[in-house]
Amino acid sequence: MKYVLPLTHPLLQTVDVSVKLSGLQILDNVSIGVPEGVVTGLIGPNGAGKTTVFNVMSGFVKPDAGVVRYEGRRLEHIHPHHLTRMGISRTLQGVGLFPSLTALDNVMMGASSKARAGIVAQALAMPWVDRERSRLREQAIAVMTELGVEGEADRFPSELPYPIQKRVALARALVSDPKVLLMDEPAGGIGAADMKDLERLIRSWVPERTVLLVEHHMELVMEVCDLIWVLDAGKVIAAGTPEQVRNDPAVLAAYLGDEGA
Amino acid sequence: MTTFIDYLLGGVSSGAIIALMALAIVLIWRSTRVVNFAQVGQAMFTTYVALTVRDATGNWIIALLAAIAAGAVLGLVVHWLVIRPVKRVDTSGAIIATFGVLISLQALAGMLWGGDTRGYAPPVSNDGIQLAGRIWPFSWYDVLVIGVTIALVIGLTLLFTRTNIGLAMRASAFNPEVARLSGVRVSRSLAYGWILAGMVGAIAGVLVAPTSQVSPNSFDILLVFAFTAAVIGGLDSLVGAVTFGIGTGLVISLVSGYSDSSNAPVVALVLLALNLLLKPDGVFGHHHSRAV
Repeated sequence: MKYVLPLTHPLLQTVDVSVKLSGLQILDNVSIGVPEGVVTGLIGPNGAGKTTVFNVMSGFVKPDAGVVRYEGRRLEHIHPHHLTRMGISRTLQGVGLFPSLTALDNVMMGASSKARAGIVAQALAMPWVDRERSRLREQAIAVMTELGVEGEADRFPSELPYPIQKRVALARALVSDPKVLLMDEPAGGIGAADMKDLERLIRSWVPERTVLLVEHHMELVMEVCDLIWVLDAGKVIAAGTPEQVRNDPAVLAAYLGDEGA
Repeated sequence: MTTFIDYLLGGVSSGAIIALMALAIVLIWRSTRVVNFAQVGQAMFTTYVALTVRDATGNWIIALLAAIAAGAVLGLVVHWLVIRPVKRVDTSGAIIATFGVLISLQALAGMLWGGDTRGYAPPVSNDGIQLAGRIWPFSWYDVLVIGVTIALVIGLTLLFTRTNIGLAMRASAFNPEVARLSGVRVSRSLAYGWILAGMVGAIAGVLVAPTSQVSPNSFDILLVFAFTAAVIGGLDSLVGAVTFGIGTGLVISLVSGYSDSSNAPVVALVLLALNLLLKPDGVFGHHHSRAV
């Protein structure tokens, strides 16, 4: 697939976003677009500002300048807890599972925005509260089954190997049935066999879902992405298909310069 | 031996009240990561509310409900007006601020209700039950106190383990960022923590009033015992707070019985110091390391 840049109708995009944190220019006029129904990658050397792009998109960091658009709406002043309701789900670096909750409860947390019952109804244990919970529970188990971790439902995160924890975290992001998945280093800390599974999994979501992933693991990025954006020192230095990016002299310079430093 | 058993029996019900106050401290720690030293001040204040309502209605239960409602409101007010703004700047500042709230509430109570010590008659007899030819140091009021404590612990456990709001509160405490991304309104979860703690503290205040009397400072000593119990229990654990709340009650009763009641706070503080030296995360606590 070829992309004519700039993209005409991206589902999610940043337009001239700049972020300054404690005097440092983290992002400098960053405009990236995420087309609907494909896998987009965001790569760059350490400190390029990739996670900050995610933080701006999910409302954790307010940009000093620029806008974020999603389905024609402005996103830069959104509260993070509204994201899942808008169909955007994000995974964090590492796993971020709640240690005292079972894997199933962790996954159910991801459907929080779908829970309707108020605190009074819950305190009084109204019958519809139970029905709602068992419905959320079924959804959670369905997603865990899809990811092959349904057998670990009653285990606590500390009892599970790291790759399984990552899958549980992924199930938590998927349980709200998101339209867009923002994945921050999904391949971090997992082995080659799990990597192949992850590749298949990500490809199986498109075109129903839209994926934007930040990843260091180049093999995975080149394998799963349709479109790649390259950031260096807070600026977009290249964009295109995996082949275009792989052969871009600016990208090579950024990575080699990073290794030389 | 009979004396030993008598002392133990005498400690159970005061232990139950310490447990409730420790629970309130744990509820706020879990939600906001702040140790609320104002908890006994809030409980003192709501007990005065109960006293006023009781004088007007003569009904213990209506007075208790009024205290619970006042506890919920006061918890929310302290959180919104003091803790949230201060915590945005500095977490340890928020802990110091709770001392400010404690002193302010004591001053306010003195202005509103005077500094005199007032009695608070129990709804059922507080005299020892006569059984098997002797009077035991255990009254029907103690039975009531323990019953209320058990019911509250069960209710809170169900809330935290069986409801979405309970799960959301736990999630907000552990990892606010992930909780937000899961669609949890973290600021609301924190507010629920303060409201719940205010209500539990209010119940503890009304329950302790018949034995401690009511004055702006009469609950201060309860802070020492409840704080000890909460910290030894791990600050995060409801089970820990209850276990060591009752444990603290038993220790105090034994110390007071065999030596003098004025030694009890010292013993509690020694236990606290030993715990911090030997097991700083508390007996029921987990050590949480934070990923960067």
